[in-house]
Amino acid sequence: MREWFAELERPVELLVALGPEETPRAGAGDVDFGAEMVRVCEGIAELGDSVSCRVEEEPEGFPRFPSVSVRPEGRDAGVRYDGLPWGYELGSIVGAIVEAGREEPTLRPESVAALDELERDLAVDVFVTPT
Amino acid sequence: MLLAFRCAFASKRVAATAIEANEFPQLSQELGVWAVPRIVVDGEPRWDGAVPEPEFLRRILA
Repeated sequence: MREWFAELERPVELLVALGPEETPRAGAGDVDFGAEMVRVCEGIAELGDSVSCRVEEEPEGFPRFPSVSVRPEGRDAGVRYDGLPWGYELGSIVGAIVEAGREEPTLRPESVAALDELERDLAVDVFVTPT
Repeated sequence: MLLAFRCAFASKRVAATAIEANEFPQLSQELGVWAVPRIVVDGEPRWDGAVPEPEFLRRILA
């Protein structure tokens, strides 16, 4: 991860949003999801000089907590992870940081062209689990 | 998941959110999440499972 983060072309901020949490399914035990989110994101930020982490209580635009917004140069790019990114899903956050740190998107040119033609806002939610 | 994030970084029109299904059981139940990844576009469940980039773009833009 340190090597990937060393190659970032611009700074990336992780904004961790804390607030009231939904009661998760049985089996979650006594996990403090908010505290774990802070621990994970601060740990990630320590691995690269261009990655920073900020924590806020119930910031605007966050319907669920805990959550982390991955922000190129501190700008809200509409990329969020709701819930604790543990297990394999940690890779999604790391991948998002690497992508946010690039000046140019890594999508195929035809994909970028198709997105450029969008005339309305689009919300894509992806439900995931840690395993 | 990363593909949705990459779309959001590439377009100011696109927002992409990963939602950990186990931590938000009520929302997951409302959207009938039984398999992951489940892709929901503008609040409507669309499909389950990973697909290649061209197909992903085709489906979210449909």
